[in-house]
Amino acid sequence: MSDENENRDMLICRCEEVTLGEILDAIDEGFVTVKDVKRATRAGMGLCQGRSCSRTIARIISERTGKSLEEVLPKSYRYPVRPEKMGAALSREGEDESNN
Amino acid sequence: MAKGLDVVIVGGGIIGLAGGYFLSRKKKRVLVIDKGGFADGASGACDDMILFQSKKPGINLELTFESLELYKRLIVDFDDEMQFKNLGGMVLIENDAELAIMEQFVAEQRSYGLDVEVIGQQDARKKQPFLSDHIIASTYSMMDSQIDPFHVMRALEKHGLKLGMGIQRRNGVVAIERLGNGNWSVVCEDGSTHEAPVVVNAAGAWAPSIAQMVGATVPIVPKRGQIVLSERIPPIGETNLWNAKYLVTKLHKGTEVQMTDEERELGLSLAFTRSAGNTYLMGSTREYVGYDKGTTIAGIRGIIDMTLSYLPKMKDVGIVRAMAGLRPETPDGKMILGEHKNLDGFYTAAGHEGDGIALAPVTAKLLSDLICGNPIDRDLGELSPNRFGGMAHE
Repeated sequence: MSDENENRDMLICRCEEVTLGEILDAIDEGFVTVKDVKRATRAGMGLCQGRSCSRTIARIISERTGKSLEEVLPKSYRYPVRPEKMGAALSREGEDESNN
Repeated sequence: MAKGLDVVIVGGGIIGLAGGYFLSRKKKRVLVIDKGGFADGASGACDDMILFQSKKPGINLELTFESLELYKRLIVDFDDEMQFKNLGGMVLIENDAELAIMEQFVAEQRSYGLDVEVIGQQDARKKQPFLSDHIIASTYSMMDSQIDPFHVMRALEKHGLKLGMGIQRRNGVVAIERLGNGNWSVVCEDGSTHEAPVVVNAAGAWAPSIAQMVGATVPIVPKRGQIVLSERIPPIGETNLWNAKYLVTKLHKGTEVQMTDEERELGLSLAFTRSAGNTYLMGSTREYVGYDKGTTIAGIRGIIDMTLSYLPKMKDVGIVRAMAGLRPETPDGKMILGEHKNLDGFYTAAGHEGDGIALAPVTAKLLSDLICGNPIDRDLGELSPNRFGGMAHE
C-alpha cells in the first residue's frame, strides 16, 4: 500500500462500489475484521456476497493492522452461497410442488 | 484497573452505542464493551424500520414518535442522512375478519395522532401494482420511516469517539463486582477491569446473563428472526409492506386466522422493506430456539413461500443471503429501562424486541436523563426493570 494515496479511488467491492480509500478509513476507525468492514462500508454485501472481494479485504486489513488472515476472515458462511431465484428456492427435486 | 470512568456500558449494539453517544454528549466519560464485532448481534441482522403501524396506542407508540424526532435531529447534528427514508407502510388485509380488527385498530391509532387510514383494494394496487389479487384492503401510513442501522451505528460510534467515548470489541464481560468504595468493577475476558459508579446492561438478548452477574433477574427471552435478502432491484412499489395476519392475533388473542402449519411453527409474518442497498429485506420468523443464531432452510423457504403469496412476481427475483438476529423479548412487549432496585448505579436498557432501531435514540435520551438526574416529563414506571417483581436480591 505504499502508493496508497494514488489508489484510494480503486474499487475493491465492485458490487457495492466501495473504494480502497473507504476501506482504509474504516480500518483506521477500528473496524478490523472482514465482517466489521462489511457492515461499516457495505463492501461484500452485494450480489456476489464478498466472494470476489473478501480475500482482498482480508489482505488489506492484515497489512494495515498486522493481524493474521485467520483473525480477520469470517469463520462461517451462510446459505445461500450463490444467488438463486426465489421461485427456484422453493422447488426441490422429489418434493411436492403443488403448494407453490 | 482503569479509573476515571463515569459509565461502563455492556453491549455495543445500537442501544449501547446510542446510550454511549448521548451520555458522552452530557460530558460523561463512557466505555462501551462488547463481546463481539461491529453490529454482530440483533442490530446487524434486522430491518431498518422506524415503524409506527405495528404499535398499540400507548408508550411504545409515543416513544416511536419521540424517537423519529430525535433521529431527525441526529441527521442534522451529524450532517449525515444515514440513509433515512420515508416511504410509508401498508399492512395487507386478506379477509373481512382481519379488516374489521384493523379498522378498529387504525381508529385507535388515529386517536393517538398517527396519520394512518384503511384503503381499498384498488388504491392498494395503485401503490403496489404487484400485489396478489386476494388482498382485499390495506392500511396506509406515510409516517413509517426507515434508517440504515449500520450507518447509524457507525455514525454514533464516530461522533461518540470524538467526544471521548471508548469502545472495546471482542472482549466479553465475565464478572461485575461491587467495590468497597461503592463503584462497580467490570471484569473482561482479557483480564482488564474497568471501574465506574454506573454500569448499563445493554446486552440485548444476552442481558439476563449480564444481570445475573450482580444477582438481578431480567426476564428477556431471545426470539430468533430470520430474514432473506433479495438482489438489488428497482422499487416494485411505493411503500414497505406488512401483513395483518400476525398483527390481528396479537391484537385480539384467540382470533382465528388461516395460517399454514409452517407459518404457525415458524411464527412467520411478512415484513417486506426496501433496504439501504436497494435490495429488499424479507422477513421474518419468530422462533424460540435459545441462543441459536443460525438460519434454516425451513425458515428461508417459509419466508419465500409467504412473500410469494403476497407478491407472486417476486419469484423471478434472486435472493443473495439470509441472516438471523435474536430479538430480545420481554413478557409485556415493552423495553426494560431503568435502575435496578437495591443495586445503585446498575441500569438495564434492553428488551426492545423488534424495535431496537426505531427506539434507540429515545432509549438513549431517557437513559442519559436518568443517569444524569435530569427531569423526565413522563412516568417510566412501566419500563422499569423492577416492574416484574422479585427482581434484585442482594
